[in-house]
Amino acid sequence: MGAAAKLRVEGIHKDFVSSVGEVTPVLREISFAAHPGEFLAIVGPSGCGKTTLLRILDGLLDADGGAILLDGHAVRDPGPDRGFVFQADSLLPWRNVADNIGFGLEIQRRDRTASRRTVEGLVRLVGLAGFERHYPHQLSGGMRQRVNLARALAINPEVLLMDEPFASLDAQTRELMQAELLRIWSEERKTVIFITHQIDEAVYLADRVLVFSGRPSVVKAAVPVDLPRPRPLAVKRQPALLERVDAIWRLIEEEVRSAMGVEGAGAGGPGGGGAG
Amino acid sequence: MVSNAQAAALPLRRARATGPVAFYRRNLPLCRGVASLVVGFLVWEWVARYLIKSTLIIVPPSHVVEAFVELLGKGELQTHVYVTGFEFVAGFGLAAVVGIVMGIAIGVSDAIRDVLDPWLSALYATPVVAFAPLFVVWMGIGPSSKIAVAFLLAVLPIIINTSAGIRTTEQNLVDVARSFAASRAQVFRKILIPYALPFIIAGLRLGVGRAIIGVVVAEFFGTRAGLGYLILVSSQLFDTSALFVAVVILAGAGILSVIGLQKLERWLAPWREYAVRT
Repeated sequence: MGAAAKLRVEGIHKDFVSSVGEVTPVLREISFAAHPGEFLAIVGPSGCGKTTLLRILDGLLDADGGAILLDGHAVRDPGPDRGFVFQADSLLPWRNVADNIGFGLEIQRRDRTASRRTVEGLVRLVGLAGFERHYPHQLSGGMRQRVNLARALAINPEVLLMDEPFASLDAQTRELMQAELLRIWSEERKTVIFITHQIDEAVYLADRVLVFSGRPSVVKAAVPVDLPRPRPLAVKRQPALLERVDAIWRLIEEEVRSAMGVEGAGAGGPGGGGAG
Repeated sequence: MVSNAQAAALPLRRARATGPVAFYRRNLPLCRGVASLVVGFLVWEWVARYLIKSTLIIVPPSHVVEAFVELLGKGELQTHVYVTGFEFVAGFGLAAVVGIVMGIAIGVSDAIRDVLDPWLSALYATPVVAFAPLFVVWMGIGPSSKIAVAFLLAVLPIIINTSAGIRTTEQNLVDVARSFAASRAQVFRKILIPYALPFIIAGLRLGVGRAIIGVVVAEFFGTRAGLGYLILVSSQLFDTSALFVAVVILAGAGILSVIGLQKLERWLAPWREYAVRT
């Protein structure tokens, strides 16, 4: 990886400690780098600590060791250089679409006139023109996630961290939102770290897919996806994509089976953070 | 919602109908409510006139109206309403301010919660109104004892609701603010308070009824004027009509306060109204 990395993750590890003092290692020595403008997807069996890692990258959670370097500088606390796209239902119900999108700008105390223009532009970018005054409960699941994405983009972060943003959507909406995300990403060209448990989603979206092992997680493989862009949705049905999905599935299958075995034996650790 | 949708869907086919039937259809909930009240009062009037003829036990609404006009003419009613109204507004207003502040403190601080919790639980479980005679002994027969009882009754649900609203704030909404590097003060102002607002208003709504009870009961134990005094004196004089006048005024004040708080909620928390109606 020749060029300077946008985001470098070095030896992150994290343990969960239960209320009775039991220690469960969740992440063990996670290291990887994302290039400027790269779309990096992370897949792994559920409960493997993907979300935990993303929360550490955003600064919502402290790691027990390791470092995160953004443009070569160590980061630890949340900051406007990283935008987090949460899973469903993280919109503020008392704010309409425009005010939800502008929330981060407000927290950052950015100039109001400029903020309004930014929000207007993002409303158009994510295809919500005409819905500015709607409240979250008046929107469909897909529209909510458009707002969610726009809110993270509004502060113009260096890196976009996306935590299974389409997990709660129905299959068709999900497909459309994947295509929409690629369209928006092609305009903004942010560095993206995208977490999912759906391999086809990861392969369709990403330049590179990191495969995580089960808990405690390590990076088991990094699979480049050399499919040409732009990628229309039809790409998802093409053999070239399916082959890669299959290759990654074979890497994960074993992990998933053993994870299921562990759960079946009733030896589960704390169910928190890692899952979902 | 349904009638709005229909009106929007059919504007070209049919002009908006006018006349009493159309008005009834458009305002169905309102018309049913009014009809229910009218029927209720008619039944009351009929029962009081022809079934139970003793005016000691019950008087028909028409007599209550007559007594109302008479008391108003003497200027007596205005004094009672003014005294009770002042005590209610002072007691409830104080309870709202103190209750919201204490509720927030309990909501954000575990230490404050742990210290105050036993007292609040004990007070919430006891019929605080039983302290009313004590307060009159301590503070005299002036308005301050009534204000104190109303305050004590109303403040509890306001504290409990406010702290519950702050405590139940969804963690993922707090995380959203934190991920934008929000300060603690920003999390408080932009997440916790708006989230707790509907809870606070629900607490105020519970507090209104309790404050009215507090004022009236405290007035029973010693006062020179007020609606509670009017009730007490009328019952001793077997003047059931005047008693009913006081009761009806208190009921009306309670209903108006609750409607006022509903309007306040719609103004402060418009997203809730949509949420309930859709």
